[in-house]
Parts: sequence; structure tokens; C-alpha cells
Amino acid sequence: MNAATQPKFAIKTPRGLSPRIAWLRDYYFQGTARAWTNEATAWTTGTPWDVVYDEITYYIVPETYAFLQTFRSALRQAARPVPLPEGFWGWSLPERRAWFIREVMVNHVPQELLPGDLLAGGRFNLQASRCWTKAETAARDRLIYGRKGARAVMKAFHDHGYGNSGATSGHLIPDYARVLDIGWRGIHADLAETYDRLTERDRMGARGAQLRAMMTAAGMPRDLAARYAALCTRRAAGEADPARRDELAQMAANLERVPWEPPRTFWEAVQALWLTHMLVMSDENYPGPGVSFGRLDQSLHPFWRRSLDEGMDREFGKEILRCLWVHCNTVYDMMIRVGGNQGITAGYGQLFNLSGMGPGGRDMTNDLTYALLEVIDEMTPILEPKPNVRLHRNSPEALLDRVVDMIASSQGAPFLLNFDERSMAGMLREAKEAGVTHLIHEGNVHDYASVGCLENTMVGNDRSGTVDNNVNLVKAVELALTGGRDLLPFVDPMTGKTERIRQAGPRTGDATAFATWDAFWEAYCAQTRYILARCAETYEASEAIRARFSPTPYLSCLVKGCAGQGRDVTQGGAELSFTTMEGVTFATTVDSLLAIKHLVYDRKACTMAELIRALKDNWAGHEILQAKAKFRAPKYGRDDDEADRMAARVMDFWTAETWKFRTRSTGRRFRPGMLSWNYWVGDGFIVAATADGRPRGQFLSNAICPSNGADIHGPTANVNSVGKALGGKAPAGRGDWEAYLCNLPNGASHTMTFSPSLLRDPEHRRKFRAFLKGYIENGGTALQINLIDADMLREAQKHPRDYRHLLVRVTGYNAYFTSIGRELQDEIIARESHARY
Amino acid sequence: MSLNDDPAGLPAESLILNIQRMSTEDGPGIRTTVFFKGCGLHCLWCHNPESLSARPQMQWVETRCIGCKTCLAVCPEGALSDDGAGIRILRDRCTACGACSRACPALALERLGEPWRLDRLLDEVEKDRAYFEASGGGVTVSGGEPALQAPFVAAFLTGCRQRGPHTALDTCGFCAAEALERLLPATDLVLYDLKEIDPERHRQFTGQSNERIFANLLLIRDRMRAQERPARLWLRTPIIPRMTARLDNIAGLGRFVAENLGDAVERWELCAFNNLCRDKYRRLDMPWACREDALMTAGEMEAFANAARRAGVAADRVAWTGAVRPDEPAGDPA
Repeated sequence: MNAATQPKFAIKTPRGLSPRIAWLRDYYFQGTARAWTNEATAWTTGTPWDVVYDEITYYIVPETYAFLQTFRSALRQAARPVPLPEGFWGWSLPERRAWFIREVMVNHVPQELLPGDLLAGGRFNLQASRCWTKAETAARDRLIYGRKGARAVMKAFHDHGYGNSGATSGHLIPDYARVLDIGWRGIHADLAETYDRLTERDRMGARGAQLRAMMTAAGMPRDLAARYAALCTRRAAGEADPARRDELAQMAANLERVPWEPPRTFWEAVQALWLTHMLVMSDENYPGPGVSFGRLDQSLHPFWRRSLDEGMDREFGKEILRCLWVHCNTVYDMMIRVGGNQGITAGYGQLFNLSGMGPGGRDMTNDLTYALLEVIDEMTPILEPKPNVRLHRNSPEALLDRVVDMIASSQGAPFLLNFDERSMAGMLREAKEAGVTHLIHEGNVHDYASVGCLENTMVGNDRSGTVDNNVNLVKAVELALTGGRDLLPFVDPMTGKTERIRQAGPRTGDATAFATWDAFWEAYCAQTRYILARCAETYEASEAIRARFSPTPYLSCLVKGCAGQGRDVTQGGAELSFTTMEGVTFATTVDSLLAIKHLVYDRKACTMAELIRALKDNWAGHEILQAKAKFRAPKYGRDDDEADRMAARVMDFWTAETWKFRTRSTGRRFRPGMLSWNYWVGDGFIVAATADGRPRGQFLSNAICPSNGADIHGPTANVNSVGKALGGKAPAGRGDWEAYLCNLPNGASHTMTFSPSLLRDPEHRRKFRAFLKGYIENGGTALQINLIDADMLREAQKHPRDYRHLLVRVTGYNAYFTSIGRELQDEIIARESHARY
Repeated sequence: MSLNDDPAGLPAESLILNIQRMSTEDGPGIRTTVFFKGCGLHCLWCHNPESLSARPQMQWVETRCIGCKTCLAVCPEGALSDDGAGIRILRDRCTACGACSRACPALALERLGEPWRLDRLLDEVEKDRAYFEASGGGVTVSGGEPALQAPFVAAFLTGCRQRGPHTALDTCGFCAAEALERLLPATDLVLYDLKEIDPERHRQFTGQSNERIFANLLLIRDRMRAQERPARLWLRTPIIPRMTARLDNIAGLGRFVAENLGDAVERWELCAFNNLCRDKYRRLDMPWACREDALMTAGEMEAFANAARRAGVAADRVAWTGAVRPDEPAGDPA
């Protein structure tokens, strides 16, 4: 190969793959060139008013706002009609929808099998009719459209810099353990028994309808498995290669049993898991995001152990897992022909946990933990499913070694790290705040697992809406400076029209007249209450619509609480039913408050009026004041106790306020978290200049991370600040979990980027391992480690073709570096060094 | 000495250049390295030229400057000028009073060397205790030459040991034996620089002969043999082109180490010349003798390491570190 065409830096490539997996993997990466894809197919009841695209689930994706109407009409036009049974329109909505999804998946979507694949279950991405009557469609449209409709409310929230909010699908860990334990037959039997116990009156009502819908849905995995069993049998008959013929025959046998009956072998268990999982995505018409597996190395371990004991080759067990990996990645085919990089553009977040604490602080690492890590190592770079390794004080050295070696040999950690002590402290705080200590307590909190990227929840009985509300905390600082009005008028980017500035938040008074810092702080608190209330109100609009019009009866079978109450999971049926307020722009908020205190009150470097003028002018003509705000004011992220006390004060206040809200339509309590996905990038162009010296157009801070470049005292100082912001440790060991305090049950995304030289030899890898142990003591709930140097990224920017597989991780979601926007690329490059500004 | 000083001779404050946390290159584990200002040697290659003088110095960092000229107005000595290409510091007038660095909105003017009180310094290094404990790391005092501020540094190291962390002393060895003796009882590990075997060349490169340095090293060896502190000893030798980067030098140092120190030396690091300090010299208006020198190559460093081993030092105790340039491919005309 000519040196000029060779990439300058080595990118991790998969190694040691069998011909089977190498073929499946290479085929997958052919993208649109593939003959087979899992592109969503659309299906309609055929009525003129039918809707197959539910826009509400995309309210938290501002990039889609401009296309909502296009998707609605285009997908309706592309949809193929499905003949309906007699009496269909007389059924309840959940029954119509359960029947329709089952009919489409079993009798209309083709069953297909790729060469060599050991798991059945191909197409699952759907856009299926919402099965609304004409009256239901009209009623829902009235709630969506119009000046006061959900769409306008949501757009106004976003346009004015508050963030975004909407009732979103996925983002939970279904009760897959139950399928592995009693099979769908057991789940169905339980539903039937519950139904039989209903009074005649209840059977006639909503509870009866919901349970009938769930029973219909519970039959879907059985019927689909039968189809795939028949396909495997046919393929086996026509197969010339005897080895493959045996595999196909065994697959047919597996599918004749699972997931209806509980699995006995590892192969059956993974097959049951995959079919059950993919149908969640069919049911929600939502490909993957946040539909997570929980503690896979725990739930699958009994089957792994048993099959190994019965003679399964360990390598073959891993081969089954590698097939699962290939299947999980086909979520990206959803809109494969839309977008530049064959749809492979972002992380979908089918997460699973590895290792972690068990009862009594015992470590739960087992052979399957290592087997799964081996599979990840061999398959990387590939996006799904995403591992999240749980570490704690008793994590074994061998696991830490493996983790650090994998970080060193990839371009960054091919997994997230979750930290049990701090995470469990957060979950126990939730139990106390929400009065659910019977469901989360010291005896079971170690069973928590992570959803999506890093959002901690309980497993199988918990929907915590972990991406539903993303609120820009810094908006409260803006409103405190203006007495409750936007700093700048909103200009519609489509029409160019300027809106008049209106009173929005409470009238907290003229900030230029505040004599003391405390007066400003009071105004800030009042405005924080307002933005949280407004977010909850915005959420209510879409939550109420979803609860009324978009049941997910199949998913409801997999969430404890729904059957017993006869309530869909979208109606708050889960035992643990929360919606999470994800605080975005935390460091920007803290640093802005620090700058106001420093510049206006402590140092009197300017008056409040001068500062407000500078912000209105986007700092133009105020460069000296801007430099003071950026460089002389204290900052969060430096292990500076004064600044970190401000961070803790902000955290205490906004989280305490968040617990006060509850949805009216579904009774779900709000709980606090800090995920912030990629919003801190896009909203940087919406949110006005901030007092920390940031002009409009520059990025806001990401999740719990210090502001970009603020962490000038190195990684340990950064980590210590994060731990203090979350609550630190309690004196005398009386925290939420042992000494640990944690304000965020959801957890907080923390991304750090290190120079690869820090891991260059065994001695330095030992030091890095020790750094992780220090993180367990002092840090936050979750850490994403990137290990990339700026030169390599610049090279990748210049020659994107040579770096197509270069993975970077932003806030815990994975993306191919060359497929993300130039601005975010530049941001990641800037973040690379921990040097001064 | 100020009025606040302890009557027993302990200064209340010491001049500190920098406190580097999560340092992974100054001893075992994760460390916090405290750089003291002032050094008795003036090595021609010194990569911390800002640490040579025992007094504060000013520097202007052009990439941070926003061009507001606030500094020109506040300087009480008229020691700053703007020559169009940037801010000039007139070194003969500047007293490093810090008026400009306190006023500079963008931290472009910086005072190198700030006084730290002992209690504050102890609190500062305490912050990374969790990482020290997890890694077997601790605190390293470096410089400059920490032994030149022996009373303060001894109190600091003693304070560290009382609170727990492991301590390391990074020294060039050019100091009074009494100063060293004050520090060693609170020192777990000594990182000792050995630069040049030939006394005359040593004088030429560093401004001083190497006799006292060898004598102090033997003093440390004797302490170790008597089972006193320090417990461990690491040696470091800078490999500088045209100067110390000679096989005869490394062989000579190697023989000295093999004959006199034996097992006392746990590790001998040959540190490849590094040129990242070029801008530091420019900012301090100091000439630099190594300005034009290229980095060493890996092949050269390997040859020096082998020379050290051939001289009788245990092979696994010799290592080379640092950035290198690629070896020149033999016979490649391009």
C-alpha cells in the first residue's frame, strides 16, 4: 500500500473474528449497498385519517422539528394497508393496537435469516398505524395543533432557550428476566389469571381492555417464533453444508420452544432475549433508544454456566453473543436511506451493565463478564449494544486490569464506567424523596442498572423517562438578570420575524437595584422554580396525549405494575413511575453565578447594568469585562472549595425543587438527573450570552462536566469537583449509601479525555487503574473516558475517509467522529487537552 | 525573614512556582508535585528556566493577551511597553511586584513564583489523598532545588508524612549537606540527578563542579545502609545533545553507580532531551543554549541505556524515557 493513502494513525480494528462473524459484520457495514436491511416499513389501517408517525416521541430531538409534518404525510403515503378483522373498530384502542402490531409482525413483515446467523429475528423496525378512529384522530389533532397545542408549547419552550421536553419511548429496562424465568407462557397465564379475577364491571372498562390487549400482545412472540422456526426448518432442508444444516435444525428446535417456554440452554436464552427485545422496538415503533438489557452478565449467567457444564464450547457461546451484537446494530437501519452516512450516525443506547456489587457489597464479576468483555474487544468498533461496567470498592484487580487494557487499546473506552457507591446513594435518595422505600432499599439497591447512556433505574418495574425533560438551568440566571423576561427577542429562523419580548417568569425585580449578592440569589431561586414548573407543564401536554392515545401493550407486559393495575406503561402503570428532569448547562449556570458574584459584588469590577449591557451586546465592545468573567472569576471544576460550594448550592436547590413536581395525567413524580445528551451544543446557538464570559453561539457546558477548558488543575481536581457537586460525603459516614451522598438518582454524565501517553506502559496503566479507584472514592456516578489526541482528530477531520470507524463518545453516546458536525468535532478537539484556555 | 516567621527558623511562607496534580512522572503512583523556586545549578539545557531564579519573575503569554493595554497603565515602574509586536517587559526595571498580573483581565501577564503558607500548602496536597492511597503515590517536592529552602520544605515533608502521604524529594544534589540532612528524615524516596561524570565539563554545563553532588549522593547511600530514611533512591540523567549525551559520560556514571551504590539504586532513568521549554526561554527573555538542538532518537537512547548496563548497573534498573524523533533510516537518500 502506498504510504500516502494509509491512515496516519492506527484505528482499532476487529480481530480474530470467525468467517461467520466477519461476513455478518462486513455485510452490516456495507450500509445501503446491502440487499437486506431493517429499514422501517410502514403499515396502515387504510382509513383516510390514519396516522403512522407519532411525532411526540421526537419532541426531545429539536433537529426533527422542521420535518414533523413531512414525516407524518410521507410515511402515511408509503404505508401498506393491512386487512382488518370484523369488529376491529368496535374494540378499545389498546386492543386495536395490540392486534395490529401482532398482525403486522407475524403475517406481513417478512421473516428473514442472514447467512450463518445463529439467532433468528430480522426485521423489526416499524412505523405502524396508531389505529385511531376518525374521532380519536381529530381529538388528538386538536391537542397537538393550534396556538395552545402540544407542538406549539414544546416549540416555544425550545425557541426561548428553556430546553426541550416530551414523552419519549424506550429508555427503560424491561423485565426480560421474567421471560428467561417463566417464558411468555407464564406471563400470559398471569395476565389471564389477573383478568379472571376482575369484576365484570372492570372487565367492561379500561382495565379489562388493557389486560385483553396485553394478552394479545403476549401471544406475539410465540407466533413470530413459530414463523422463524418454520423458516429455519425449510432452510435446513435445503442446506448442503452439514454443519450449517445442524445449526439451522437446532435453531428451529430453539424457536419451537422459546420464548414461549422458558429457555434451558444459553443459545435458547439469547434467542429468547433477542426476540423479546426486538419486539419492544416494534411495539413502540422506536428503534432502540434506551431499551436496555440490565445486568446481562447476571441474568444470562445461569444459562451460560449450565451450557458450559453440558459441554458447550466457550467460543461457541461467544459466537452466539457476537450474533446478538450484529442484530442489535440493525436498529440503525431505521432510516438507512436518509442521511449521509447510511444512517450510522449516532448512538441508540441499547445498554447493558457488567459486573458490579451484589448483596452485602460482594462483587458479582463472573466468567460471563469476561466473555462479554472479550466479545466487545473483538467486535469494536461497533456501536450496539453498549456496555456499562459497574465498578466499586471491591471490584477485582483482574477486572480493573482488563478495563484499563481495553481503554488503552481502543481510541477510548469501549464502554462507560458506572460507580456503584455514588449511584446507589442516588437511588436510595430517590426512595426517600418519593416514598418508595418498599421498592428501593439497602437490600436490593445493588440490583439497579443503567438505561440508555448511564441513567440509573431499577430493573423490570421502572420507567423513569430518563430523556424526557432537558432543562437549561442557566435560563434562570438570564431571567433573574431581567426580572423574568428573555434577554433578547426571539427571531424566527424560518420567517425572520421578531417576536415582542413578553413577561415570562415571575417579576423578581430590577437586578440593577439589588444591593447584595443574596438578593440576586433569591431572584435566581424564584426563576429556577419557574423554569422547572414551565418544563413540567410543557411535559404534561405530551404526556397526557401519549397516555390517552399511544398505548404500548406489549411493552406493558414486560413492566411490573402494569398488569396488576390494568394500566399501560404509558399511563404510569410501572411500579416505579418517574419522569426525569435532566439538568443541562450546570457548569455554565454555576460559573455564571460565580462571575456575577465576583464581578458585581465581591470585586466591583462592573455594575450590574454594565454586565447586562455586555450580555445584550453578546460581549461585543466589552472584551475586557468578558476576559475578567472568563479568566478572573472562579470556576467550577478546579477543586476550589469556594466555587464548588456554589456548585453544591445550585445542585441542592434545583434538585429539591424538582422533587416537588408530578404529572397530573399519569401521576409520575419528577426526579433529577444530568444527562444533557448533545443539547449543550445545539442550544449554545439559542441561549443568549452568559455571565461566565460565553458568547451566544458557543457551546454550553455538558452534563456535570466543568465548562470547556475550565479544569486547569488536572483530572483529579475535575473529579473532586464533580463529587462535591453531587453531594460529596457525609461526616460520620451517614450518607445516602454509607458515607456517599448523591442528589441525582438518575446519575450524571461525566466525560474526560486523556492523552494516550497516560497509558503507554504497564506502570502507567497501573497508575490509571489507581485513578479509577480514586474516582470511586471522590467522583461521580458515571464516567466516559476518551483517549484521543488532538493531532489524530485533526487528521481525521482532514481525511474523513481514512477514519470512518473512529469512534468518539459524547456524553456517553457513541458516534463515528467523521459523521458528526464540524462544530462538535472542533469542540472535541478543544476538549482534548487539559491545558489552560 | 518576616515578623510572622517561627522563632525556630521556620519561614512562614515559601516561593512556589507551580503545584502539579496527577503527576505521573515524578515517582511512584499518582503524585502532587510542588515546584519550589530557585536553584544553585544553572544547567545550559534546563527545561524549567523559570525555576532558576529564587525571586518572582514576570512573563507575558501572547496567546492569552486580548490587547487591552491595561497593564501599561498600572505598572508603577514603567517596566512595560508595547512595541507593536506585543508587550515587552523591561527586565532591568521590573520588580515583579505583580501589579500588572493582578490587573490583567486575561491572565496574559503572569507572575512566576507565589508565596504559599505551610498550612495552605498542606491542605492543597491533601486534596488528592484518595488517589495517593489507591496508587501508592504521594507528594514530590521539586524545583528548582527544594533543598535551598530546607527549613520550610522539611516542615512540609514532615507535615505530609504525619498526614499520611508518601514523600519524594527531587533534587539536583547541589546543596549543603546540612540542608539535605534536614530533609532526608521526612523523605521516603529520593529522585537524584546525576548529570556528568567529568568535574570540568560539569562546571561548564551547570556552573558548578560535581564533587559536592557525588558527596551528597554517598551521604544518602550511607543513610540507606544504616536503615534510615530515605528508603528508596532513583537516579535521573538528562541526555543532552553535544553535552551529556556521550557514551563515555554514561559509562563513567555507570561505573560510579555500580561501584558505590549497588543495590541502593532502585531505578536509573535516562531522560531524553526535551525541547518543549523553548517558549519559556523566549517569554523570560533568556537565551537558550539548546535552542537549535534536535531530539534524541530511540536508537541513541537505547545505546546509552546499554552503555549504562555494560558499566555494571543491573539491566532491569536502567530505563530511558521521554519524547524522541524517529531513527534516521540508514542509506535513505530522501
